Amino acid sequence: MSVPEGLFQGLKILELGAGAAGPVATRYFADQGATVVRVESGVRPDFLRLLHFRPGDPHGLNGGPMFVLMNPNKLSVAVNLSKPEGIEVALRLVGWADVVSENFSPRAMAKWGLEYQRLRELKPGLIMVSSCLFGQTGPQRMYPGFGGQGSAIAGFNHLAGWPDREAVGPSGTITDSLSPRYVALLIAAALFHRERTGEGQYIDVSQIETGVYSLSEAIVRASARGEVMTRRGNHAEDAAPHAIYPCAGPDRWIAIAVFSDEEWRRLCEALGAPGLARDPRFARAADRLVHEEALDAALVERTRALEPDALMHRLQAAGVEAGVVQTCADLLQDPQLAHRGHFVRLRHRHLGDLRFEHYGICFSESPRRLETPGPDLGEHNLRVLGSVGYDELEIRSLVEAGVLA
Amino acid sequence: MLDGIRILDLSEEPGFLAGKILGDLGADVVKLEPPGGDRFGRRGPYLGEVADPERSLRWLALNTSKRGITLALATPRGRELFGRLAARADVLLETAAPGALEALGLGWETLRAERPRLVWCSLTPFGRTGPYAGFRAHDLVLVAMGGNAALTGDPDRAPVRCTLPTSYYAAGPEAAAGIAMALYARERSGHGQLVDISMQECQLATLVTAPGQYSLSPQLRGRTGARLGGTREIWRAKDGDVSFGLRGGAARIPSLVATVAWMAEEEMAPAWLSELDWKNYNHNLLSAEEIARLEGAFSAFFATKTRRELFEQALARRIMLAPCNDSREILEQPQLRSRGLFTTLEYPEFGARIEHPDFFAKSSRGRIGIRRRAPRLGEHNAEIYGELGIDADGLRELASQGVI
Repeated sequence: MSVPEGLFQGLKILELGAGAAGPVATRYFADQGATVVRVESGVRPDFLRLLHFRPGDPHGLNGGPMFVLMNPNKLSVAVNLSKPEGIEVALRLVGWADVVSENFSPRAMAKWGLEYQRLRELKPGLIMVSSCLFGQTGPQRMYPGFGGQGSAIAGFNHLAGWPDREAVGPSGTITDSLSPRYVALLIAAALFHRERTGEGQYIDVSQIETGVYSLSEAIVRASARGEVMTRRGNHAEDAAPHAIYPCAGPDRWIAIAVFSDEEWRRLCEALGAPGLARDPRFARAADRLVHEEALDAALVERTRALEPDALMHRLQAAGVEAGVVQTCADLLQDPQLAHRGHFVRLRHRHLGDLRFEHYGICFSESPRRLETPGPDLGEHNLRVLGSVGYDELEIRSLVEAGVLA
Repeated sequence: MLDGIRILDLSEEPGFLAGKILGDLGADVVKLEPPGGDRFGRRGPYLGEVADPERSLRWLALNTSKRGITLALATPRGRELFGRLAARADVLLETAAPGALEALGLGWETLRAERPRLVWCSLTPFGRTGPYAGFRAHDLVLVAMGGNAALTGDPDRAPVRCTLPTSYYAAGPEAAAGIAMALYARERSGHGQLVDISMQECQLATLVTAPGQYSLSPQLRGRTGARLGGTREIWRAKDGDVSFGLRGGAARIPSLVATVAWMAEEEMAPAWLSELDWKNYNHNLLSAEEIARLEGAFSAFFATKTRRELFEQALARRIMLAPCNDSREILEQPQLRSRGLFTTLEYPEFGARIEHPDFFAKSSRGRIGIRRRAPRLGEHNAEIYGELGIDADGLRELASQGVI
């Protein structure tokens, strides 16, 4: 049965917070028909609205590309929570919502009187998720940090780079992309539970802990055998070749991974390198690991003059794992991503045409949708407050009193 | 949260985490292996350094809260049993190449006809359809094709990945989320559906909108080593690396001010730094010389401190600085320990106890977390096949035919 309106048609989510980790989590629901309302304020703006700001930028808080790209399909109300009337507005919106998702530092919600104990009295069955760096409890809960610090504490940075150099960390402050998936999962699981039982719940998520949990293998190896895993370039314990090789063109590369002797024979054949296939140093997987340096040097000689995309197709056709190291420009033209409709072009009123992105799930019964770019601050004050019972006169006086700001 | 949901899990290593998450959340996950075991998924290193698939630490780490059975899908009897197991399942989780299960007559269309409530989650490198659907990929190729490798590593060397397969760790919770969403939808519609996860597509989220930013101003960033957006993110302390940034706008400035105040107390803040006008500080306006000057001053200071000294002061002074922890340091991290993140599982047959990260979320409705250790090969054959009315004699017969 097709549900063209989306899996979450009719679901109402109230979002408080800033940055990437909180707002990305609710995207999954917004793209499947939920109404997601961001409560934010120009008094203490979401730092993503200003990350690329330079004095003189004409669009101010509404021209931050990262904010715009991360918050499509959402509505924005500007509410100053340092005013009692602002808290009243927030409470009215909680009464409207099925789910409250917030990622402030631990004391903030309680300071405003917006803690779960109070909100659930207002709204029985409420689902609320808090997601901050270190969680709501514990001696270091008030530690301030961004995703970069979260990735470092959780262990990702230590694992990426070259053994003879400083850590580099996988690009993109990894807990910022990892923790929202878990928050989305927990919201969905809590909704499922509510659907079956009528019960709501409060869930406390530490972004750093989502990272440590994901790296369970490293922790278990440390606990069981005292092993300290570290960065090793692209070396793998069980595959060779397993590296990224240069290709023709500026900064062009291809990843090649060979797990079996059969794949090794196919690689040599596809590269037209029978000499390599016969080389006894490379005959078996264990030999190739021992002679990895010589192996990589021999392969570099055979890849460096080749065009990466054609080489990928040739190797994949031969049954060898290979993939171009794709740049952002490559991704925007990737035919597979195009097939899945990953990028959607939307026009933003200040920035012009931008490519917005979907996440990694396609549901057979319900296409994902991207319809509006990230909102201007307070763009939906009238519509949202109107839907929870404020009339135009009240809204205007709240604006004049600096409450809707 | 997912109590009573039966998940039939056919997945290989890329899907281990997805099944573990669902099991830790309360679902009844039944993990299916070929009769000889998942040889790749059960590879070393091994507990006690004994090369035995039952001691594979990867397996033990990523298959908690699952029960385990064996079944040879290549045999007609195996396929018949699979159909009966699937008929009792709410969810099927698999990582087979697109078309592989269809070739055995076990495709989505076949199964959904028999069981319309079934949620089928397919986790593949590039998705089930499309020009690259037939491409093969494990982690290295996925981080390359998904865009992260191009931005990770030092500019004078090849792009790099993490030592562990982070592309699986991105896709695992995404798949689990897709399954939970489909289960919620099923409560309302009565129907299951196909949840098609592309691991490549999951990788793109790690770029935190870089492709969209490129569509606005087409300049390729390339690899910048320990730097991010023009300024340093990872710094050398006396005994290793720490994360600390100069960018981030107003939210970062108190941390920079606090750092400089600490440096001044130790007489390591140059006069120009102590006098810097932080009110008007904007990292987007820094010249290369200003960046070099700032980085020089902070680098010189951090190099005189151990990571522990730096983090202690970061906590006391609210500085956004953190050590790049290794796994043993994480096991000892006081905040993580105080929240009970780690749980000890017993492996009596090996005389071992291992600490695992438990499921982290704290719910007002009670504990969520690991419910059992990873299964031994075929450990739960009697329980699960017993549900189908197969008794001990029947199991022996199936074993002798190589079906289980």
